[in-house]
Amino acid sequence: MSLHWLKVAALSSVAAFALASAASAQTVRVTVAEYSSKTGAYFEKAATEFEAANPGSDIQIEVVPWDVLQQKLTTDISGGANADLAIIGTRWLIDYVSQEVAAPLDDYITPEFKARFIDTFLSPSVMDGKTYGLPIAASARAMYYNKALFEQAGITAPPANWDEVKAAAEKIKALGGDSYGFGLQGKEIETDVYFYYAFWSQGGELIDADGTSGLDSEAAYKAAAIYKDLIDNGLTEPGVTSLNREDVQNLFKQGRIGMMITAPFLSNQIKEEAPDLQYGVTAIPAGPTGDRGTYGVTDSIILFENSENKEAAWKFLDYIFTTDKRAEFDENEGFLPVNAEESALPLFADNADLKEFTGLLPDARFAPVIPGWEEIAAVTSNALQKIYLGEGEIQPTLDAAAAEIDGIIAANK
Amino acid sequence: MKISSKLKRSIVSWLILSPLMIAVLFPFAVMLITALKPATEVLRPTWWPSSFQWQNFITMWSATNFGSALWNSLYVAVLSTALSIVVSIPAAYALSRFRFVGKGFVQQFLLVSQMLSPIVLVIGLFRLLVALKLLDNLNAVVFVYATFNIAFSVWMLQSYFSTIPKDLEEAAWTEGATPWQALRRVFLPLALPAVTVTAIFSFINAWNEFVIALTMLRNQDSYTLPIQVFSLVAGRYTVEWHHVMAAAFTATIPIAIVFAWLQRYLVRGLALGAVK
Amino acid sequence: MNRSIFTNPYVLTAPAFLLAAFIILWPLFQIGEISLNDVNRFGQLRGFSGLDNFTAVLSDPQFLAACWRTVIWTVGIVAGTILISIPVALILNQDFYGRGIARVIIMLPWAVSLTMTAIVWRWALSGESGMLNSALRGLGLIDENIQWLAQSGTAFPVQIAIGILVSIPFTTTIFLGGLSSIPDDLYEAAQLEGANGWQTFAEITLPLLRPFINIAVVMNTISVFNSFPIIWATTQGGPANSTDILVTYLYKLGFNFGKLGEASALSLLMFALLLFFTVIYVRLAMRGDRA
Repeated sequence: MSLHWLKVAALSSVAAFALASAASAQTVRVTVAEYSSKTGAYFEKAATEFEAANPGSDIQIEVVPWDVLQQKLTTDISGGANADLAIIGTRWLIDYVSQEVAAPLDDYITPEFKARFIDTFLSPSVMDGKTYGLPIAASARAMYYNKALFEQAGITAPPANWDEVKAAAEKIKALGGDSYGFGLQGKEIETDVYFYYAFWSQGGELIDADGTSGLDSEAAYKAAAIYKDLIDNGLTEPGVTSLNREDVQNLFKQGRIGMMITAPFLSNQIKEEAPDLQYGVTAIPAGPTGDRGTYGVTDSIILFENSENKEAAWKFLDYIFTTDKRAEFDENEGFLPVNAEESALPLFADNADLKEFTGLLPDARFAPVIPGWEEIAAVTSNALQKIYLGEGEIQPTLDAAAAEIDGIIAANK
Repeated sequence: MKISSKLKRSIVSWLILSPLMIAVLFPFAVMLITALKPATEVLRPTWWPSSFQWQNFITMWSATNFGSALWNSLYVAVLSTALSIVVSIPAAYALSRFRFVGKGFVQQFLLVSQMLSPIVLVIGLFRLLVALKLLDNLNAVVFVYATFNIAFSVWMLQSYFSTIPKDLEEAAWTEGATPWQALRRVFLPLALPAVTVTAIFSFINAWNEFVIALTMLRNQDSYTLPIQVFSLVAGRYTVEWHHVMAAAFTATIPIAIVFAWLQRYLVRGLALGAVK
Repeated sequence: MNRSIFTNPYVLTAPAFLLAAFIILWPLFQIGEISLNDVNRFGQLRGFSGLDNFTAVLSDPQFLAACWRTVIWTVGIVAGTILISIPVALILNQDFYGRGIARVIIMLPWAVSLTMTAIVWRWALSGESGMLNSALRGLGLIDENIQWLAQSGTAFPVQIAIGILVSIPFTTTIFLGGLSSIPDDLYEAAQLEGANGWQTFAEITLPLLRPFINIAVVMNTISVFNSFPIIWATTQGGPANSTDILVTYLYKLGFNFGKLGEASALSLLMFALLLFFTVIYVRLAMRGDRA
């Protein structure tokens, strides 16, 4: 009896939903990763504007927090229920391309569309000569420093290399109180990248010419030694391995950190949350030979191969990559302009902070586009955490990590 | 002055419980104090806000779409609890009262089925729901929660039911009552504390459940409370902690009310004393 | 006894059993399938691979370390919870002023979602900006900030303590239910015979509470073994995997590294492990309990 009821209920719900989904043929679904409280609002507004200009179209925005984005995308794709468009970290793109999940966009890209973009940002999404995603968010890194603390400590100019960083940090430490010299991130995403700033300045390469990891090199040992030295001498904030980038930024916003390296969105945050903070932006410290490297990172918006509304989805992409929409987005979130015309706008061109970032772009390095990069980053972060905690000697720990990374690279060939 | 023994007992009891209470109330204090701080002060670990920003609660409400998420959570929690209890009581009754072939198997199955973490089941579950076209549907979430709760509810109820002696119902049968009447008049009132505890547990599970809701829901309008609150913290470049704490604090109020209302049912004797 | 629908056990059990089976067995079957195949990071099968995924998991040194830590985690929380909940339930079972309020307070951790509890604790445990340190310093208990989450030596015990705190409400509720099923006459009789508090406890309360203790142990073990939010929100299993338990390791493997095949194999191994120990416990401890 109850079984029969159940069957009827199941069947009728299936029928009801089949009917409902038939009506949505022209709907374009977009999975949007959330950067801040403004992200959802921006995309909803863009959707409404697009629908008004294109009657009959329907854009559905699905906002997902970044921390669970990969999980959500994985389950969606595995069930064949993914959206038409999605924002992803460009470093994941290679998996999407190799598994033929992302669709190439070349058929839709006209030469004038391509001309809108600054090439540095478009190139990471190009694989095998085909473009697989558009750079929706672009960022680089530079060093922020606390002008007030510097003045107090008698530091006249922002440090240009790592030796000067140490000296400046020592002067700040001498001030006493609860201020710290160099903000060092030791937890969660981009812990490895924080290390790369020093690594690149020592001339290191993440992947050597022979395709193996560059962590077992002199450059790596030196870079790790620089950081460990800073930690051991109390020149960084305490509890490095319990602080992610946001935590270190919070300390910086409270005026308790002299220097830290991060992305342009910190400027926006400071404007809103700590308007009285006197800060400056300068280049990432260089190494002994003047080498320096900034981390360039883009997030891409991709079109799924199994989308049934590619035309409509492309139209929407075209719309959000117009100069006005891009300017609005980048201003909200604090990203770098990817659109050439946009970067000429006074809003961005006259922004002193942004100038520092764009000035570093020639030195920009992106994460190597190889499969298994997430795992490699995790291995690197773990090794660094061990070193920071003093649980492993620098050379053997880095060598072990390099060996593990080589194994991952080989397994993924 | 003679201190009554109840007063003495009260003082001693509160004294012994106080360390635990401090530990329990600590996170709530943190939540409330942080929620009341002005935005610029949120990051400082001070214990007394410079000014009490009660309006943080109001701004939080609209910023997190709290009203709609609250409604969704209530809808899902109440319905799934009701569904799960309605289905579990007969099963638990059968398992505690009768011997039948397959009884052991059913009991083992129900226990064992709780051992799989939702994280592990999520992909398979998702595909199942996609096949049934049940995504982004709160009713489907109700259904899934209810079924997940069944194993636990039956197990709990059966354990309690076993402590209710059969004699009472048998006495009612010999007096000519039908099994249904015996069930309703004799058994259910005695089973009430057990059902209450189970209902509380199901409700809380549904109220706080996160992984499945995240996987099954797409639209911000259908998000339940845990997802909305979590999205405030998870991966944003700036976390508005005062809103997060205000939201977390407010999300506990419905449950605290449910507790306060239902906790008295946990006292009444579970049958044995009622033999008198 | 009248034969009616209300006395047919199969009819009574069927809806519950079928629903539970449906929702569990299908995903379980999927996991089994995935674990025996080569899968890409999106869960799409790419070819049969036999036991490769299993051997990959078993030979990973992280697996063994996470296993061991999971045992410590589970035993620590379950034992701690039971040991604290028994006296708490005994006290809350007595009649005293403000008992209702006391009960509601003790139940409060249950009212917050585990994820939120973990996030709030993470916030409070922050070395430099956290309110726990500022409270401890304000009370004069410590001089310098303790970096709670920076290393596993301090982080793991704190995580276990949080786990105990959130498990106490449920366990106490079970015990309260159990205590209220002990008839008063037993206590009256014991008093007449001049038994003191400890004897009453050891010879009447404890044995009659035993079935409920067993229920609490089994239920808690199952949920603690698989408990994800506390560790994930506070340390993500770090630093350097030093607070990883099996379920956080599983999440990283499956969703961060995209190794769904190995993750599925791992989840089956975890299931087997939990099943094994629970069945043993149920056999040994609960033999006499079922009607």
